[in-house]
Amino acid sequence: MDHARQKQQFQSLTRPWRDRLFSVARRQTRSQEIAEDWTQETLLRAWRDFGQLTDTMAVYAWLLRILNHVVADDSRREARRHRLAPMLMIADDDFLQDHPCAAPGPFEQIMQSRSDEQVIAAIQALPDNFRQVVMLRDIEGLSYQEVGQALSLPGGTVMSRLSRGRRLLAGLLIKTAAAQALATNATGNKEPGHEKN
Amino acid sequence: MKKTDGSHDNMTDHLSELHLQLQDWLSGYADGELDAQQTLIFEAHLAGCDACRTEIERQQSLSRRLQQVAVNRMPGALHQRLDTMLDEAQHSPAQNAMPRPWLRRLAWARQPAAIGGFIGVTGWALAALLMAVLLLPGTVTSMTPGSIPMMSDVLQEYQNLSRTNLVQQETPPSKTELPARLAGCKLVARWKTRVGGEPAEAFALQRGNHLIIEYRITENVFYRNPNVRQAITDYGDYRIREQQLEVLALPLKGAGLLIVGPAGAMPHRREFIL
Repeated sequence: MDHARQKQQFQSLTRPWRDRLFSVARRQTRSQEIAEDWTQETLLRAWRDFGQLTDTMAVYAWLLRILNHVVADDSRREARRHRLAPMLMIADDDFLQDHPCAAPGPFEQIMQSRSDEQVIAAIQALPDNFRQVVMLRDIEGLSYQEVGQALSLPGGTVMSRLSRGRRLLAGLLIKTAAAQALATNATGNKEPGHEKN
Repeated sequence: MKKTDGSHDNMTDHLSELHLQLQDWLSGYADGELDAQQTLIFEAHLAGCDACRTEIERQQSLSRRLQQVAVNRMPGALHQRLDTMLDEAQHSPAQNAMPRPWLRRLAWARQPAAIGGFIGVTGWALAALLMAVLLLPGTVTSMTPGSIPMMSDVLQEYQNLSRTNLVQQETPPSKTELPARLAGCKLVARWKTRVGGEPAEAFALQRGNHLIIEYRITENVFYRNPNVRQAITDYGDYRIREQQLEVLALPLKGAGLLIVGPAGAMPHRREFIL
C-alpha cells in the first residue's frame, strides 16, 4: 500500500477520535498546552505504529493506550511534573472507612448539583489507577474489555478498580458538597449581621 | 465490614468476608458486566445487604452523572497542527510483522450432527432453507480464511441460526428500512446482535430458497482490518468465502454492511441498493 493511501486510512480512522483523545488528555492535566502536546505525540506514535493496530482492538482503545504511555513517559520527566494536576494521595482503605458505602445522604441530588468542573476536579484528585479506569469507563464510555486493552489490565482488575474508584469519587463529591454547604450556611448566618449594620 | 444496622449483628464471619470480597464486583453488577454465576451470587448477597444495595444505586447514579460530562473539544489550531504534522511525517508506518491472529474456524458447521440437531429443534420453514444452504454441493473452496473477527462473528451467527429459532427473533415491521435493498427478497426477521465486539443490527432476508442476512455494523469495526480497508479503497468492497458461505462487505455512510449468504447464490454487489 502506498504512503499516501496509508496516511489517508490513518486519518479516516483516527480523526473522529481526536476530540475525545484531547478531552481525555485535558482531564489529566490542568495545562492545555500539555494536553495538546500529549495529543500530538499520541497521534505521531499512532502513525508510526499504525501497522500494529490489530483486528481485535478498537481504534479508540488503541489510541488511549498510546496516550496512556505518552502521559506516563511525560510524568516521569521532572521538569514537567510540577505542572501536572495535583493528585491527592489518598490511602484507599482509610478513605473507604471514612466514607462507608452506606453513608446517608441524597446522593442523586449531590450528583446533579455538581458542575462538570467540580466533577472533573474530584476525578483529578483520585489516585492514578482509579482515575484512569473511572474516566475511561464512565466518561469515555469504553467497555470493560476496551478499558482493559487501553490500560493493559485484566478484566477483573478493571472491575475492582472501577468499584473502588467510584466509591472514592462518591466520597470526594460528598465531602466537597458538605464543605460547600457549610460555607454557604456560614455566609448565610453572617449576612443578617451585615444587614443590621 | 461497617455495620449499618442491627440486622447485621448476627452476620457470620463468612458472610462478612463475602461482603468484603463482593465490594470489587459492585461496578460489575451495576453495569451488568457480571456473568450469570456471579450475578446469582451477588444477588443472593444483595437480598440481605442494605449497604450494598445503597452502593449499587450510588454507582449507577455516579456513572449516569459522569456520562453527562461534556467533551472538551480540540482547538481548531491544534487540528491544523496535527494535519500538518502528519503531512510532514516522512516515514511510513512499520508494517506489522506479527502474524494476524487466526481465529477459531467454524468447526461445528462441518459436523453433520450439529446440522441434524437443528432440524429437531426448529421445524420451521427457514430450517429447510438453511439446510438447503448448508448442504449445497461443495463446489466452493475457501478463498480467504475467516481470520477477521467481524467476518467470523457473522459467519458463526449465520451458522448458529440452526441452534436458535428465527421465529423468536423480533418480527420486523412491514416498513422496516433495510441497510441495502434487494429485489425479490422478503424480510423475515431482525434482531440486535454484536459484531466485532460492538452493537450491530441483523436483518434476515428470504430470497427464493436461500437465506441472506444483512448486518449493519459500526464504522469502527468495519474499517478495523487493514486488508478490508485496502480492498474498500481499491475496489469498493471486500469478500470472503468460508465453507459454503460468502460474506460481502460494503461501506455505508457512517457504518458498514456485511451480507452473508450461500456462496453460490449471493447476489452481485450491483444488485444491492444502498
